[in-house]
Amino acid sequence: MKVWAIIRREYIEKVRTKGFVLSTLLIPMLMSLMFIIPMLVDDMGGNDVRTVGVFDPSGEFVYQMRDVLELLKKDNYILVETDADEGLTKGITDGAFDVAVSISPDYIESKKLKFYSGTVSSMVNMETLGPVMSRILSVQRQSNAGVSDSLQTYLLARPVWEHVSVNETGETSSANEESTFGIAITLIMILYMMILMYGQHTMMGVIEEKSSRIVEVVLSSVSSTQLMIGKIAGIGLAGLTQFSIWSLVLVWGSKSGVEISGFTLDGSFLTPTILASFLVFFVLGFLLFATLYAGVGAMCNTPQEAQQFAIPLMLCNVIPMMLLSLVIMEPNSSIAIILSLIPLFSPVLMFIRICMETPPLWQIGASWILMLASIWLALKTAGKLFRVGILMHGAAPSWKTLVKVLRQSD
Amino acid sequence: MNSQPILSLQSVSKSYGTIKAVSDISLDIPKASIYGFLGPNGAGKTTTIRSIMGILMYDSGNILIDGQPLTRDQLDRVGYLPEERGLYRKMKCIDQLVFLAELKSVPRKVARKRAEEWLERLELSDWAEKKVDALSKGMQQKIQLAATFLPEPELVILDEPFSGLDPINIELLRNIILEERDKGCTIIFSTHILAEAEKICDSICLIEAGKKVLDGNLEKIRKDYPLKTVKVIYHNEEKPAEGLPGVENMELKDGIWKLAIDSGTDTDLLLDKLRETGSVDLFSANRPSLEEIFLNEVHQLRQEVTA
Repeated sequence: MKVWAIIRREYIEKVRTKGFVLSTLLIPMLMSLMFIIPMLVDDMGGNDVRTVGVFDPSGEFVYQMRDVLELLKKDNYILVETDADEGLTKGITDGAFDVAVSISPDYIESKKLKFYSGTVSSMVNMETLGPVMSRILSVQRQSNAGVSDSLQTYLLARPVWEHVSVNETGETSSANEESTFGIAITLIMILYMMILMYGQHTMMGVIEEKSSRIVEVVLSSVSSTQLMIGKIAGIGLAGLTQFSIWSLVLVWGSKSGVEISGFTLDGSFLTPTILASFLVFFVLGFLLFATLYAGVGAMCNTPQEAQQFAIPLMLCNVIPMMLLSLVIMEPNSSIAIILSLIPLFSPVLMFIRICMETPPLWQIGASWILMLASIWLALKTAGKLFRVGILMHGAAPSWKTLVKVLRQSD
Repeated sequence: MNSQPILSLQSVSKSYGTIKAVSDISLDIPKASIYGFLGPNGAGKTTTIRSIMGILMYDSGNILIDGQPLTRDQLDRVGYLPEERGLYRKMKCIDQLVFLAELKSVPRKVARKRAEEWLERLELSDWAEKKVDALSKGMQQKIQLAATFLPEPELVILDEPFSGLDPINIELLRNIILEERDKGCTIIFSTHILAEAEKICDSICLIEAGKKVLDGNLEKIRKDYPLKTVKVIYHNEEKPAEGLPGVENMELKDGIWKLAIDSGTDTDLLLDKLRETGSVDLFSANRPSLEEIFLNEVHQLRQEVTA
């Protein structure tokens, strides 16, 4: 009953703040920018005119290159011939060419090519020019070997891809791998930010109660444990509210096919399983971090004092984000499994594994059990810090006092 | 005094490490009285109060309310205004009052109605929807008082309630205390400002260095306390004769002779003897003030400790 009053107060006071309204609006905007911008850049980059300098003493290959580029629909590549290798280097230093190719007259026999590049974007051009030159090589060699034109067409056929994404219930749908991955990364970012943000809100809330000296009045009516639990629950519910608003908008947006800068919101990835595991990992991750942050807050009088104790916690928030690429590359490697089972890392790392490809259920279950056990431990530890620390004023706490408090028996 | 005390402390002790903050304190606080909990700073007043309020765990002893152990549920009957007091700065006044009342198990609707009444009584109705931040310090103090009394507690504990209050709010608090006492509420307040306690307390307890020095009905304490000084002025400002019965020391201060006397001195006899020397303008053998009792007791105790 009293805990409800605390939960309600925390919730209402949090939801009413400008910060809450602003972050509800701004975070999705930032998130969508985060993956619309790379797509726009990619689009623009992909269609940029590329000037390729070509030195072709034989005078034959450049025509074949134009044919192949046309076949591959790479009409943004413009080939400019020069009469010496020196012209190619000069063209690149002048900025006349993006990249350049020097083709030896006996290319078909020697397979020798020289690729000149000046800018970092040369990889992109290599990706295009590589297949072009390979194809020329194959066509010529097949002709030399006496393969007929019709057989050549048959041999040089290009594959036609159709991408099918399979979800965990075995349903299939055609999907754009990049946008699915983008949504997964966005969810991870949201999860990470929300746990960090709301965890720290809890800490700041405790510090505010201490510094405004309201806490002693509150503690004359409820126990420190009730206060702590009410506070964490209230702030956590505010976080869930924010997430619900976003999901509703996203689901509505994808249902009605809203387009943002030419990109259609694809909600098909956001299956109930994904959303539910997001919720579970948010709740567990928040509870774990918020409890620890609350304990830190109880020991400190000012946000400045809290920093030194909060830094290790923040690192635990950030480290899994740094390990993210490791896990994405091989979601089922033993290192990924071990990392994703560490309770402080699980919210981010186990969740990305679920997004990538569903890990064995026992691993998901194990991460939940480990997290619940850690939450229980954190509640006991923070409860102790709360009981002792919440009425401490004056001297800034040190690691020594922290250890001393934790060692005290109840 | 013959009825059961509302609150009893039985041999309550609390140490912080090796420091004994409260040692073996026993008290009975009579119902519907104003009880002064007095002592110098650091005597253990706040520790005792926090122990009563369940904010600190005391090491040993019992605390009873109406003869029953004081559990957390029973604390709903007890209001508390700590020395270090504050409010949620970003919260609206009315919401704040309702929230703090809810923590004392007052239903929301009732709490809201009473909060409106209290704001009206304290002339703060216009500020109900304002955030605490916007209020002056004096107004915030009024809100704190309202929050303490709003749940209609049977027992209210005020820790140094007058410190930091402006004179208008001191007057206001004093009136609230008297009114609530007349309604049957028991009020305990700790203070080191003895003149304030003397004005309104029915009973007191004096503690020093974590120990109880004396307690009981204030009038009775003053009546029974051995008289220490008599003030005398002669018509022609003469010096009183030497060798008066029971007089241990004499000193002149602001034209008044202060005679330190032995306990058990017959003041009637002393007056007769003084009259033999000259015409007496003033002869004051008043009961000692609380401050005199307090200082005397504390000095005695400290001498014992150092001896």
